[in-house]
Amino acid sequence: MSSISELYDVCWEEMRDKLRKWREENYRNSEQIVDVGEELINEHASKLGDDVWIIYEQVMIAALDCSRDDLAWSCLQELKRQFPDSHRVKRLAGMRLEALERYEDANKLYDSILQDDPTNTVTRKRKISILQAQGKSSEAIRELNEYLEQFVGDQEAWHELSELYINEHDYAKAAFCLEELMMTNPHNHLYCEQYAEVKYTQGGLENLELARKYFAQALKLNNRNMRALFGLYMSASHIAASPKVSAKVKKDNVKYAAWATSQISRAYQVRGTQECTLGVFPVRLEDSCHTLLMEPPLL
Amino acid sequence: MAGPELLLDSSIRLWVVLPIVFITFFVGVLRHYITQLIHNDKKVDLQQVSDSQVLLRSRILRENGKYLPKQSFAMRKHYFNNPETGFFKKVKRKVIPKNPMTDPSTLMDMMKGNLTNVLPMILIGGWINWAFSGFVTTKVPFPLTLRFKPMLQRGIELISLDASWVSSASWYFLNVFGLRSMYTLILGQDNAADQSRIMQDQMTGAAMAMPPDPNKAFKSEWESLEIVEHKWALENVEEELMRQDLNFRGLFN
Repeated sequence: MSSISELYDVCWEEMRDKLRKWREENYRNSEQIVDVGEELINEHASKLGDDVWIIYEQVMIAALDCSRDDLAWSCLQELKRQFPDSHRVKRLAGMRLEALERYEDANKLYDSILQDDPTNTVTRKRKISILQAQGKSSEAIRELNEYLEQFVGDQEAWHELSELYINEHDYAKAAFCLEELMMTNPHNHLYCEQYAEVKYTQGGLENLELARKYFAQALKLNNRNMRALFGLYMSASHIAASPKVSAKVKKDNVKYAAWATSQISRAYQVRGTQECTLGVFPVRLEDSCHTLLMEPPLL
Repeated sequence: MAGPELLLDSSIRLWVVLPIVFITFFVGVLRHYITQLIHNDKKVDLQQVSDSQVLLRSRILRENGKYLPKQSFAMRKHYFNNPETGFFKKVKRKVIPKNPMTDPSTLMDMMKGNLTNVLPMILIGGWINWAFSGFVTTKVPFPLTLRFKPMLQRGIELISLDASWVSSASWYFLNVFGLRSMYTLILGQDNAADQSRIMQDQMTGAAMAMPPDPNKAFKSEWESLEIVEHKWALENVEEELMRQDLNFRGLFN
């Protein structure tokens, strides 16, 4: 089996830089990380200097993702040898126990870390993910709420909580979590769009209006967000079709829907005039809208 | 009255000015590493972290609340400022003023700070004063009054000498403060050789060290939140959006 460096003709520095890029941008391509990292560790460990420890950590987590317990165990041993009293290494040991589904042992380990250092947020979040892995979503929600009461600023946690609520179909609370995210990141079009989708799913005239506004905001922040464009069309046409609205509102919404339609067909034209290997077939607009918005929200 | 321009021996430049610069610089670097070695990790208090994050959230609500729907903004403002159940009204933290004399950890920190920062400065300043005394080292480019003379011209008892001519000790002190930006260049930000900055630990997320009185912080945050009004930024978003065609450049790359 040829190694990565032969296959892609890269030297070890390039592999190390690639690993760093993946680490900094939070990629989750675990199989690639395992391949590249394993070779880097086995062949070039001495040349890496102090970088080797963080690469061990990165490769270990990727190995857990790919069920490579042998590799994970060897990485953990190296780290334990170098940093015997470290909370971070203990947490990695806990993650390995989680991967082996030994949840009680993992919980005990995490509790011991938290006794020592009650502000260790990463460990608390691992405990919550154990609950999620065991399928106990209501308890996970409760624990996550308690966590967020203390650490109100943790955006990752707010996002996770909104997903949990969406899975439980508790859209009002999911909307609250997404509002927190929108507040802290007002220029992120994805949060606006997700919020609009939740509002659209909740239904009701007010929520549809809010959904339409936030779809428009998402489009304003990023003109190329096609999902938001379709969402704008859907919410506007639903409001226009509703019997309870006044004539003026109906007229406005028909105008918005028409504008959205024209933009969508423009986008398809732009696509059609470009060179592409897959053909793009002009689908009926209503069909594509319906299928797109029936899917659960992205992320 | 511009005094007579003195011509200094060029060996002063070689053997006094430059060595003092090097000595100051290397002592600073040494101080940085020694401080890192004997530095203790500050234990963070859960309550403090939590409070600082709450204050941050309230501040963000004030700044970005206009992106939320009116109802949500009102709900959050109510949570913070409600006269009976609002967070800032209800929560009173017990403040124990940390007496620096009796609290052992802060005493240790103070001692370490003194040891690494003040002591070397005094020692080296004194040594330079003793070793390089009796002559002027350099001239500061701006005129000084006579009051500065005894301070800057220690060891040189000349009444007629312009106060701009300074001794080596003052050149040393000039260096101590002037090399600050050099340290930032070489040791990166947050370096311990920089005497004029206070070291702060980075805690979880964006939490900052709490001011010693959280109650005061809560009160001021309450006041600022009271006066904020909600002006919805999305009032006319559709009209603004539809003024022009969407820009699809780069969509299908």
